[in-house]
Amino acid sequence: MKGECHNHMSLIDTDIHERVSYQELLPYLEQPWKRYITDCHWIQEKHMPYTQPAVAGVDRADARVPDGRPAGSDLGFMQEQLLDSHGHEYGILTGALDPSPSSMHGWYEMATALASAYNDWQLDHWLEKDSRLYGSVHIAAQEPAAAAREIERVGSHPKMVQVLLPIDDILWGDPYYHPIFEAAEKHQLMIGMHHNEPPVHFGKWPKYFIEWHTLIPTAHMNQVTNMVFSGVFDKFPGLKLMMIEGGFTYAPFLMKKMDQQYKDLRHEVPWVKRMPSDIIRDHLCFTTQPLEELKKWELMQMIDQMGSDELISFSTDYPHWDYDSPERALPPRLDEDLKTKIFSENARQFYPKLR
Amino acid sequence: MQKVIAQTEDIPPGEMMEAEFDGRPIVICRAADGEFHAFTNLCPHQGAPLSKGKLCGAPEPTDYVGEYNYKNEGNILRCPWHGREFDIKNHGRMLANDKQKLREYKLFIEDGNITLYK
Repeated sequence: MKGECHNHMSLIDTDIHERVSYQELLPYLEQPWKRYITDCHWIQEKHMPYTQPAVAGVDRADARVPDGRPAGSDLGFMQEQLLDSHGHEYGILTGALDPSPSSMHGWYEMATALASAYNDWQLDHWLEKDSRLYGSVHIAAQEPAAAAREIERVGSHPKMVQVLLPIDDILWGDPYYHPIFEAAEKHQLMIGMHHNEPPVHFGKWPKYFIEWHTLIPTAHMNQVTNMVFSGVFDKFPGLKLMMIEGGFTYAPFLMKKMDQQYKDLRHEVPWVKRMPSDIIRDHLCFTTQPLEELKKWELMQMIDQMGSDELISFSTDYPHWDYDSPERALPPRLDEDLKTKIFSENARQFYPKLR
Repeated sequence: MQKVIAQTEDIPPGEMMEAEFDGRPIVICRAADGEFHAFTNLCPHQGAPLSKGKLCGAPEPTDYVGEYNYKNEGNILRCPWHGREFDIKNHGRMLANDKQKLREYKLFIEDGNITLYK
């Protein structure tokens, strides 16, 4: 049944975080990797000096599973609290970023094993259990050849719509990583980029969480700028990039700035053959959350400056604390045609496997 | 109207000379092949005097990241301020965006004189 959110629009939610426990990954891991978790207590490396200082840390306080398990860890509760209650047509799973194999600063063999285990767990426990859910291929991108093999292994699954790359301290446009894009393009997978713990203060950490959280879009801007000026979309014309959880209000500025810079400095990047704003319009999409309480006229100005109403796609970021409500986050009284695009059609056009 | 602007021997290939025609600032460019081209001397971006820039070459578009094929030496007019590139052999079109170009002036060469006309 085609879902409808309360405002009677079909809803494709482009950022939902499912959560795995290390215990749940064990059946999907071979030795020796398994014992590094069971015997040696491996956990994902952490970098931020702060916690997420909301009521329940990174999660909505009401999203904890009633039996006490962490938010996002139970399909039934997610169905009840999110998918059924808002009438989702589709939801795209983007991982809990723990473990985040592509963010590891070493031990890439372990990262590769974790990515494979995560993909199998995601397929078994989520994608094959709810027809509305689609997923992201996790990889260890530090080893592009191994990453491409993992994309070959699971990328043709009909419920896998994108390859997930974290936004941390690696810029992914470098030709070293292009085997990943080649494999993604082959399987009609888009690229989804979602921040993990990007250092946003000259490679380090600002003093307070509120500064870091405010400046996350700057890390997204680094990646967009790098991907365009590295010629990724000239080289892979079928590839598209979804920028997840950085919002979109930086896009009008960045498009204008990149165009102006390209006119001045084209000669440094002769592999880029079109105006950057045209490349962005043809190859990128931005998830809406976290919305900045825009008034209708402010949103319409942003869309006007982007030169397209097909570049933004609604996302909730469930179950995280800075969640956006499908019914309340966007300004009221938007035109029906625009709402249809933002809530579902732009995502449907972006992801070939949703058509 | 027409006006003799300069003598051909005044401008070697790959060089420019500023002048005035019809009350407007003009730059006469002599391309690598020895031919002459005349354009407005004001960059369409912010009005920089183009004659203070360079006639040089530029990396041509490539399909390979990291590859620089420097071509057209002497045919690319590079603005002295922001470095925008205009192809004097292609009606002054901007390399980054060929929808933009310099205003071009008609000229002819006779008896060693460079004459602009409209």
